[in-house]
Amino acid sequence: MNPTLKHFSFKAMGSFCEIQLFDTSRIRAKNVVTQLIDEVARLEKKYSRFRKDSFLSKINASAGNKLGLAIDDETQSLITHALNCFEQSDGLFDITAGALNEIWDFKKALVPSQSQINAARAHVGLHKISCKNSHIHLPRGMQIDFGGIVKEYAADSVARLARSLGAEHGLVNLGGDFSVIGAQPGGKPWIVGISSPISAGGIMTKINLHDGGLASSGDYERFFMHEGLRYSHILNPMTGWPSDGLRAVSIAANLCSLAGSAATIAMLMDELEAKTWLEDSGLSYVYMDSEELIGSAGLNSNN
Amino acid sequence: MRALRSTLLLSICSLLLISCADVRAWERGYLAREEMAWDPDALESTLNDHIFFSKEASSGGNSAAGGGCGCN
Amino acid sequence: MKNSASRSIIALSSTALALPGIALADAPPTQSTISYKLSNYQEDDLARSEAPLGELERYDIDVHQFQLISPLGRKLSVQVSASYESLSGASPWFTSRGLDGEPIVNLSGPSGISDRRSELSVGSRYYLDNGSFAGNIGYSEENDYRSVYFGLNGERHYNNDLTTVSAGLSYSSDKIFPTDAALFNRVEEDDKQSTSLFVSVSQIINQVSSFQSTLSVTELSGFLSDPYKLRDIRPDDKTQIAWSNSYRRFFVSANAALHVNYRYYHDDFGISSHTSDLSWHQNLGRDFQLVPTLRYYSQSAANFFTNVDDFLKPTSEYQSSDYRLSSFGAISGGFSVIADMGSWKTTITIERYLANDKYSAFEVSKPSTALIKYNRVSLGIDFRF
Repeated sequence: MNPTLKHFSFKAMGSFCEIQLFDTSRIRAKNVVTQLIDEVARLEKKYSRFRKDSFLSKINASAGNKLGLAIDDETQSLITHALNCFEQSDGLFDITAGALNEIWDFKKALVPSQSQINAARAHVGLHKISCKNSHIHLPRGMQIDFGGIVKEYAADSVARLARSLGAEHGLVNLGGDFSVIGAQPGGKPWIVGISSPISAGGIMTKINLHDGGLASSGDYERFFMHEGLRYSHILNPMTGWPSDGLRAVSIAANLCSLAGSAATIAMLMDELEAKTWLEDSGLSYVYMDSEELIGSAGLNSNN
Repeated sequence: MRALRSTLLLSICSLLLISCADVRAWERGYLAREEMAWDPDALESTLNDHIFFSKEASSGGNSAAGGGCGCN
Repeated sequence: MKNSASRSIIALSSTALALPGIALADAPPTQSTISYKLSNYQEDDLARSEAPLGELERYDIDVHQFQLISPLGRKLSVQVSASYESLSGASPWFTSRGLDGEPIVNLSGPSGISDRRSELSVGSRYYLDNGSFAGNIGYSEENDYRSVYFGLNGERHYNNDLTTVSAGLSYSSDKIFPTDAALFNRVEEDDKQSTSLFVSVSQIINQVSSFQSTLSVTELSGFLSDPYKLRDIRPDDKTQIAWSNSYRRFFVSANAALHVNYRYYHDDFGISSHTSDLSWHQNLGRDFQLVPTLRYYSQSAANFFTNVDDFLKPTSEYQSSDYRLSSFGAISGGFSVIADMGSWKTTITIERYLANDKYSAFEVSKPSTALIKYNRVSLGIDFRF
C-alpha cells in the first residue's frame, strides 16, 4: 500500500499550524503528530510572553534581581543564539526590544514623542544582560521576547523529533515557519506559497522545499498610516523608530531557525543595505521592496 | 620503546581529562572558529605533507591518507 | 555592517545548530566550498664546487590543487580533490669524491627528470548523531610511477562532545617503472605497498584551548630504493611510527589563535626525527588574517647511509647516499596573508626552507651534500556557495 498524505492542523503559538505526513496508516501518523503537538505546546508553555506562568514571564519578572535567575540548557542556548543574532546584526535584532513595543500603539495609530522613545530605549540592549554560570541577570525595567527565535526553533525541533519517531516524508508549518521532515515520496519537493504583502490572500511566489526550513518576516500583518506616512510594526532598537526597509522577506536555509534569524535581520535593515546583505548571504530568498518590486535568488520558484 | 610511548600517551590524556573544564556546546564559539581548526587550510597542509614527504625521511602522524609518489 | 553577510550566516548557524532540539553533534558543512591553490616551489641552485660535472639547477615545480567539498542532503558530504604538478630540473644521480677528497654530487640532466604528476581522489563522509564515518579512494600517476590508494576512518564523540576519538587505516599500492631502464641498467618495474593505521584522541580543555594526540604506524614493503641512483640498495620493508601532538589556543584579547605541533618519528632504517612547528593566526578586523609560521625539523641518519657511494661494496649490502637518509636539520619560516571577503577567501603564502647538517639535533658522522634550500610561493582562492 502506498503511503498517502495525512494532514493535521492545530492552533499554537498564536498561529495556525499544520503538520503533513506521508504514511500508510492514519493511526500511526496521528500517534506521531500527537507527540509533535506536545512538543510545540511544551515550548509555547515555556516561552510564551502572553502566559503569566511561562518560564519567560519568570525571567522577565526577575528583572532587577541581584541574584539573577537559574536557567536551563535550552534557555541558555536560545539566549546564546539571540546574542549571536544581536552581534551579527550590529544590535538590530534585539530580543530586549519589548519596551519599544509598549510605546508604539499600533491599534490607536499614534506616534510617540521622542522623549518617550528615549526613555524606552534606556531599557533596550541585549548587551546589558549577563548570562553566567547558568544564571541570567536582567537589569531592572528590561524584558525579553523570543519572537523571531522560538517559533522557528520549535519548527526545527519538531521536524527532528518527527524524524527520530520514524517519519520520513513530511512538513511542519508553525504559522509560516516551515521545517521539512523529509521531501515528498520520490524526492519531490514541498511547495510553499509565499503570501503577498499587498493583496490579501494573494500569492507572491511559490517555493520548492526539498529539505531544511523556510521563514518569513514582513510588515504586512501590522502597520499603520499616520499623516501620510507608513509605520511598520518592525522597530529598529537602535533608533526606537519603525524600520524603513523591505516590505517582506522569505528565506530558505538548512534550518528554519537560521532562516528566521536571517529574515528578521534583513527586515530591520535599510532597504538598500538589506538587498546587498541578502545577496552576499548565500541563502535563497525572495523579498518585496517598498516599491512593491520583487527580488529573489537561489529559489526554483514557479510563479 | 613502543610500550613506553603509548603509556606516555595515556597518561597525558588522563592528565588533560582531570584538568579539563566542562565546556558547554554554546561556550564553544572560540573553539569553533576557523583559525582554531586542527587543519584550517586543507590544501596548504596537503601540499606541505607532500613536500616534506619528498624532502625528509619522516611521514605520518596525521589522519590523512594520500597517494604515494615516486620520490624515495 | 562590520561583518560580511555570508560570514554572519555561518556564525548564526553555529548557534542555531547548538540549540538542543536541533543539535546534531555532527553535520555536513552547510555550504559548498571550491578551493584552488597555485604554488611554485623552487630549489636553490647548487654551487659549482658541489657539482662540477652536472647541472646546477634543481627542481622547479608548479603545483595546481583543486578541491570541492559539498553537502549532499542532511547526512552526507562529498569531497573531490585533484592536483597537477609539472616539474623540471635535475636531481642527484650519484655522489663521487672530488680531487680534494670531498664528496661531490653528480646531477642527472633536466631531460631525465622532466615530469608531471597528476592525482585524483574522491571521498565521502557520513554524519551520525554522535560521530562520523569517511572513506576515500585515489589515484596518482607520474611518467614512471603509479599509485592507487584508499582510506577509511571514523570518529566518535564522548563526554558531551568534549572528547573525540578517531581511528582509521589507509592502504596504497604503488608501481615503479623507471624511464630509460635498459639504457642505464635500472630496475624495469617493481612495486611497493604501504599500510597505515592511526588512532587519535582530541580533547577540549576549556573555552579557548584544545589538544590532540595521534599515534600512527605504517608498514611499507617492496621496492623502497631510488631507481635513478647508480648504487642505492635499501631493505625491502620498513616500519614507521609517528606520534603527533597538537595544541590550539585562542587569545581573546589579541583576537588571535596559537597553533603548536610536535611530532616524534622513528623507523627501522634507524631514523628518528623531531618536528615542531608554531603558527600564530592573527585576525585583523573581521576580514584579514596574518599567519607567521616557524618550523624546525631534525632527523638522524639511516644505519646504511653513506655520503660517498662505494661501488666496490657487494650489492648484497645496503647503502644509500640519498641526502634524505642523512642526519640533518631544517629550519623553515612562512608567512600567509588571508583576506576573507564573504564568499571569497584569498590566501597568499611565502615560505623559505633551509636544510643543513649543522642544524641537526642528532649526531652527524657523515654530512651529506646536496641538502636543499627552497622557496615556495602559493596563491589560494576559496569560494563558498
